[in-house]
Amino acid sequence: MSAMALTSASLFGLCGAALVGIGLFCIVSHPDLLRRIIGFNILGAGIFLVFGAVARRGAAMELGGDPVPQAMVITGIVVAFAATALAIALLRRLASLTGSATFEAPAAPPRSEP
Amino acid sequence: MSAAGLLLAAALLVPLALAAGCLSRAFQARVPGLLWLAPMPALLAAWWLPAGTSVSFPVPFRMTLALDQTGAILLGGAALLWGAAGAYAASYLRGKPGLTGFCVWWPLTLAGSLGVLIVADIAGFYLLFTLASLSAYGLVAHEQTPAAKRAGLVYMVLALLGEAFLLFAFVMLAAGQPDPNPLIRDAVAALPGSPMKDGIVALLILGFALKMGLIPLHVWLPLAHPAAPMPASAVLSGVLVKAGVIGLIRFLPFEAALPAWGGLLGTVGILTAFGGAALGVMQQRPKTILAYSTVSQMGLVAAILGAGLAAGDPSAPGLAAYYGLHHTLVKGGLFLAVGIALACGGAHRRPVLLITGLLALSLAGLPLTSGALAKLAVKPMLGYGLLSIAVSLAAAGSTMLMLHFIAVIARETADNPGASAPPAETLPFLIVAAASLVIPWWLYPTLSGDALASAWSLASLWKLVWPMMLGVVIFMGAGRFAGLAGRVPEGDILVLAERQAPRLARMPAAIERLDSRLRLWSAAGLVLLGLVIWLGGGFLLAA
Amino acid sequence: MTPTYAATSGGLLLVLAVMLPAAAALAMLVLGPRHTRRVALIALALGLVVALATGLQLVRSGTALIYVIGNWQPPLGIALRADGLSVMMLAVTAVVMAATGLFARELFGLDLATSDGRLATSFWILLMGLWSGLNLVFVSQDLFNLYVALELLTFAAVPLVCLDGRGETMAAALRYLMFALLGSMFYLLGAGLLYGAYGTLDIRLIASAGQHGPAMAIALALMIPGLLAKAALFPLHLWLPPAHAGAPAAASAVLSALVIKAPVFLILRLVVDIAPPGAAAVAGQVLAVLGAASILFCSVMALRQERLKLMIAYSTVAQIGYLFIVFPLAGVGDGTAPWGTIAWTGGALQLTSHALAKAAMFMAAGIVAEAIGHDRIRDLGGFGRVLPLTATTFGLAGLSLMGIPPSGGFIAKCLLLTAAAIGGHLWLALTILAGGLLAGGYVFRVMDRALATPAQPLLLRKPIPLRLELIPLVLAVLAVGLGFLPLAPFGLLQIGRPDIALVSP
Repeated sequence: MSAMALTSASLFGLCGAALVGIGLFCIVSHPDLLRRIIGFNILGAGIFLVFGAVARRGAAMELGGDPVPQAMVITGIVVAFAATALAIALLRRLASLTGSATFEAPAAPPRSEP
Repeated sequence: MSAAGLLLAAALLVPLALAAGCLSRAFQARVPGLLWLAPMPALLAAWWLPAGTSVSFPVPFRMTLALDQTGAILLGGAALLWGAAGAYAASYLRGKPGLTGFCVWWPLTLAGSLGVLIVADIAGFYLLFTLASLSAYGLVAHEQTPAAKRAGLVYMVLALLGEAFLLFAFVMLAAGQPDPNPLIRDAVAALPGSPMKDGIVALLILGFALKMGLIPLHVWLPLAHPAAPMPASAVLSGVLVKAGVIGLIRFLPFEAALPAWGGLLGTVGILTAFGGAALGVMQQRPKTILAYSTVSQMGLVAAILGAGLAAGDPSAPGLAAYYGLHHTLVKGGLFLAVGIALACGGAHRRPVLLITGLLALSLAGLPLTSGALAKLAVKPMLGYGLLSIAVSLAAAGSTMLMLHFIAVIARETADNPGASAPPAETLPFLIVAAASLVIPWWLYPTLSGDALASAWSLASLWKLVWPMMLGVVIFMGAGRFAGLAGRVPEGDILVLAERQAPRLARMPAAIERLDSRLRLWSAAGLVLLGLVIWLGGGFLLAA
Repeated sequence: MTPTYAATSGGLLLVLAVMLPAAAALAMLVLGPRHTRRVALIALALGLVVALATGLQLVRSGTALIYVIGNWQPPLGIALRADGLSVMMLAVTAVVMAATGLFARELFGLDLATSDGRLATSFWILLMGLWSGLNLVFVSQDLFNLYVALELLTFAAVPLVCLDGRGETMAAALRYLMFALLGSMFYLLGAGLLYGAYGTLDIRLIASAGQHGPAMAIALALMIPGLLAKAALFPLHLWLPPAHAGAPAAASAVLSALVIKAPVFLILRLVVDIAPPGAAAVAGQVLAVLGAASILFCSVMALRQERLKLMIAYSTVAQIGYLFIVFPLAGVGDGTAPWGTIAWTGGALQLTSHALAKAAMFMAAGIVAEAIGHDRIRDLGGFGRVLPLTATTFGLAGLSLMGIPPSGGFIAKCLLLTAAAIGGHLWLALTILAGGLLAGGYVFRVMDRALATPAQPLLLRKPIPLRLELIPLVLAVLAVGLGFLPLAPFGLLQIGRPDIALVSP
């Protein structure tokens, strides 16, 4: 019985948790901005998996599959995509302006005139 | 609103309107000539209106003004000095840079310093007190010299600190009242029963002592008062310190005795009276000597109030106000006198020095002057014990300090070319000097309860004369303090504190380092995770 | 089954508040750059009217306004609801937005190159997106919908930061985006867990559930820090100073005055509306500690800044701290109704007066930078002589930040201090007083420069039109004018609270 439970929703959940962990590690520890953006995507994927697990477990409705989390995951993917696009665009601009793709170097607040 | 109420409101609103008038470029040029008019409504109100006149501003301006005898005494003297100093300022500052700025800060400070004498509600008091404190910065730092800037900085830091003390005290005072902005009278009546009584009284004394310049909170005063232009020094020293006096008068419960706090205030006052004189005789500039004299005199006022608070004597506020009136006129007159004396030479110098000397010795209690009346009026309340002797000895200190002042001003003006001060400056000075000699006589019977004749009885004279003789003997004996000159820098203990400044500056630097570390990406990420764990743990434990 | 929400009359106004700016942004894209400014100004005017109408409707009906989108009841549908606090936020937003719009019009008008260029067009579109997101945060009842609103806000705010396209503002924007995204991810994860436990994301339905398990605790522990990251409360403020200082003046004004208030508002709703009492008390304590630290630490940092805009930005982090010390002062989590307390009113007033004063201050700093060419505080000696109105603006806004009467900031601080004195929170009282002193310090530093007489008088790089100077002055005067409000709890803030219509799903 417990093995059965593990195979379905919990597996999704555990998978999601693992992805969240990997994503967080990636975001916090890597100075390289591109890797951080990828970390965000991994984190996002993990969270969407958790939503998937929730759809299986939590649905209050007596539907076969709960449509609400699915709608949320789709919306979430769109938002994540937009965020990634914005971040990449900014990053490219930053790299072409300063030639560096990290910002630990200019961590000090901007000094020059506006 | 009655005519009397309107006049009282005008005392506050006319100076504010004058300050607002500076916004118009067309009007700006005429403002200096109008400065003397700004305090006139207040003067009329103090003169004419009966005690008990009050006026409440309509909603949403929650402010109530009320005139009582104590307030009227201080208001009259303060308004007279403001008027005279305003006329003096118009001539003194003509053509000097920064006149427009001066014409904004002057009426604002004026409105605040006169307003605190007549305001009756707590929020209004705080508002006007703050207005006076902050606007006075513009007067202190007006000359923009390095000394004025330093004085302005020290003044501002301590003024804001005092504001913080007072705000907390006022909030606690009002906390127990049904009305969120109670009348001071009602709040103070409930003070002795408040559970936070000691905290409130301590904060009140701290906040107002800062404004009065009681030792050791006096450090800003000998810097700020001399740094300002001459007429501004006169009102700073003559009127602004009275904001602290009226604060103590209004907010301490004189109906109910608080022996411990009264004793403390009295002791601090006496120490300040001696300390101010002792530090003053080591100074070499006339304005600084006068500033230390203000410290010393405010110590005496604090001693009077402390004795009243300790004994639960409701006559103390009136007597303190009477003493304050004497000090306002004399000290204001003396600062104006310094300006006149520095501008006079030759044949004009001698009469000016004579009047200056008379005013100076009035502070020490020279018989038949206002100082003598003030000292005689408070004598009965102080009793005949240790406190009375201490106050007499303080008069000896004042005598020394004033002799030192006369010696310094005589020396400084000795080589002046033969010239005279413009009449637009001399006349206000003469008015203040005359008022200081006349007005206290007129008020003496009401306040002291004695007939005027008692003031020139032989016993009274002796009470006044022996401390002065003692002062003269010490002054002569110590070789006119020539050896002490310049031993203590202006602002005395502040200089010691400033030496510790590099050590104090380390903390902000450490904070800056910590900030740059916290703003690293990985540190912030870890802090975020830490917060999640902290909150999660807290929630799970609480559930 | 009775419906969870019953739509009230005037509910459509809430949809209008959200959709009007969004429609304006679309119209700008369709009509092209030449009409952008006109569309924006019309939308701003209409938005003000909508906010006013919402307020009137709320006061007239005396209950919260509700709209159920498409008549689909939660848990499937989404409801919009505006109580007194939300309506206050809508109104403040509309006022600051309108002022910012007018200010931006004048500011962009100074430079022919920017008046109709890409920069101005982008600015107007982003401003509308920002406004739509803000209004949605203030009225939505659905936690996922709120997530989308927060993201919309971030996506509009980030490009505003780097509008001028310089390298360091790019870096600041990217840092802002990344940290805000990290915060959103935490929030989203928490929302997912809540859905798992309750089968709904509607705030009212979750709050009315009888039992709260560990899922609630973990979800809140994820969502609150996530929102704190977006609100830039110390010690999560890494992105705010460079972002707010680097943005163009008009953008800084909205960012500092409004955008960071949105996550704060949401934290308030989570703690007060959703969290069970025990958790709310813990959250209140933790948030108050962080808020107090923010006040003290960032005020000192503001005091140490060399540049005017950075100083104002640090001051924002410090002033946000006051909003978080409201929780224990209002007695959140001890079983009483927090919205009837003076601390609650104090918090709301602090929020409003800070929004007005900070917007005015950033605009004033923008005028100084525009007119003089730099914003190094040390070299600004005598700017009060050349820009008297701007110096006055700065002084008035500073009064409110310092909490000097008469000003909204004073009333706010006075109410918070009274609550601290009555409740015996001595450490919070001392923090409030110390924060006021430090604020006095940094405002004084600038005012001292304004009043100084420099050896060489400052020269204006370009003339500043009177209208440009008047807009921030009006905002600052409004912030000071709030000081004439009565010192008592507001009735408005209590409308629609508590949410009595709680029903079980």
